[in-house]
Amino acid sequence: MRFLTLYLRSRRVPLALVVAAGGTALMWGIWQLASDDRDANSTVVILTVLIAAACFAHTLNGPDDELERTAAVRWPRRRATHLILALGVTVALVLATLATGARFGPPLFVLRDAAGVLGLIALGAALVGPARSWFLPLIWTLGVAIFPQPSPLPAVVATWQHQPPGSRPAAITAAVLALAGLIAFTAYGPARRAAATQA
Amino acid sequence: MSRILRIELRRSFGIATIVMVVVVGAIMLYAAPQRWSSSWMELMMVQREYLVLLWPLAISAGAYQARREHRSKVDELFASTARPRFQRVVPTLGAVGISVVAGYLLMIAVAAPWIWDTARYLPAAAFAVAAVGVLSVIAAAWLGMAVGRLLPSPVTAPLLGVGALAYLAFLPFALEEWLGALISPMADMGSFHDFQTISGRVSAGQAVFLAGLAVAAVVLLAAGSPRARLTALLPALLGLGLGVVVMPHGDDYVYPATDRVAQELVCAPDLPRVCVSRVHEGLLPEVVPKARQALALLAKVPGAPTAAEEKTVTYFEKDAPRPTHGPEIVTIPITVDREGHLAWPGLVVPRMLDAAGADGLGCEHGGAPDEVARAAGSWLSGVEPVAEPEESPETNQEAIALWNDLRKLPEREALARVTALREAVVTCKQTITLGPVKAP
Repeated sequence: MRFLTLYLRSRRVPLALVVAAGGTALMWGIWQLASDDRDANSTVVILTVLIAAACFAHTLNGPDDELERTAAVRWPRRRATHLILALGVTVALVLATLATGARFGPPLFVLRDAAGVLGLIALGAALVGPARSWFLPLIWTLGVAIFPQPSPLPAVVATWQHQPPGSRPAAITAAVLALAGLIAFTAYGPARRAAATQA
Repeated sequence: MSRILRIELRRSFGIATIVMVVVVGAIMLYAAPQRWSSSWMELMMVQREYLVLLWPLAISAGAYQARREHRSKVDELFASTARPRFQRVVPTLGAVGISVVAGYLLMIAVAAPWIWDTARYLPAAAFAVAAVGVLSVIAAAWLGMAVGRLLPSPVTAPLLGVGALAYLAFLPFALEEWLGALISPMADMGSFHDFQTISGRVSAGQAVFLAGLAVAAVVLLAAGSPRARLTALLPALLGLGLGVVVMPHGDDYVYPATDRVAQELVCAPDLPRVCVSRVHEGLLPEVVPKARQALALLAKVPGAPTAAEEKTVTYFEKDAPRPTHGPEIVTIPITVDREGHLAWPGLVVPRMLDAAGADGLGCEHGGAPDEVARAAGSWLSGVEPVAEPEESPETNQEAIALWNDLRKLPEREALARVTALREAVVTCKQTITLGPVKAP
């Protein structure tokens, strides 16, 4: 229990949870006010998933990575658990709206986007460090939200975040990104960098 | 000072910012080159439209940069130095500003070779549009730094990016059009035709507003106390107020606005007269031989047109006069393809021969049916009718059938029918066919 408390605190998870919940609530409130439609538009859902997921980017390392690496702790399984729980929390936060008057769904869509975006963040954390890991998923997802493409296949793969939940190429792309991020971050952990680039 | 700036450029997030802006910009530009291939003005406007991503990128990069001291835990150490804050932030402001501007300008450099040999017309308004774009990325990056310093949290930068997108792309819809165009540097930059422009007053209003934002960001960064930070409101509000004054309001705000100079005709030096609009001047060498070929083929029709011109009137000009081409001038159809050259070059001559060079543009119920017009044109050229892109196949089959009927007729009879068809279009007749000519 003590380890868990210290771990969560060193990762600033409370901040991430508060901001992710606040951001989701804000988007939910905006949709509630701005639209009569119960089901939120997919662009709004994409942006909400992005906000919630991006809040967890900085939780992928602590104040001193080098010190932690010297500890006799099995980090890989903790890193994997951390990522999977972050995915669970992100999906749960967004899907909690399904019980309300403004529904952000469908569940498969949210799960796919959250997994893909968190995979990209984890991949970025392993390659350039958690502090900068959100740049690529942020710009990619914002671009897709503004310029969605229904066809052809390369465009579908490039805009996987916006495809309907049944789209197989989009699901495969998201799964590949999620697995790549999970494996890379689990195996290597946050990128080794000067203290100046830590979150 | 310049040494510090150089070090700052290398040590800061500068290089990464340049690379991100250029890569994201180039991907957007080359994903759809047909959106900007026809002119420099169009390129500058499309680039402004792509601020929808570059602005969030710049603001996030600024916010990320501003957290550096906090990340390195040197906030208190630096605060204890005996130098004014302003002096300390200037090199960082400079480095971040230089990187986003370099990224924005490099984006133009990446696109320029694509249209270098076809785009000629470069109005002053195009420079103004680009300059406002440059100012807007500076304002975005500095604003990002200011917010990043006020809220030094790791989630500030990504959330600011999402917020910036909402501000740019969604907020203008909630406002009046002119006000939306004032506050969002990417609003109303869509391209509807090749003669578009942004008026100087609109660019000036946007520039004043963005300059106010940039100054407010500098004040926020330089301010040490909460009260000093409040003074940042002054330049921001001043910029907004002046911008509102300068910007055309209500009906005076026109979108899409038309550039009369771009519409002016530029003619080939020798006869017969062949003219295109100034904005398409670079296409003249491609157009002239085709237009003259069409004019030569038309010559056998009595009363045939003797000159060819591009039609420069667009349907977006509310009070513009209707096209006043007389029957002595045939319209050159000009569309620009994604490479910046004449689109469908093989269709230019057939289209000019349609209905023997007559279009019903001045009439209320414009012109001959496609298949009839095309059959007449094919009879003049002796070449089988060619289908238009994205047209139902029946139209061209009917045209071929009509053309075959015409070819079976004696030369004089066929010419009489084609001439009658042209007359009918020119005089705005309601029903236009290739039927036998009744004796008057």
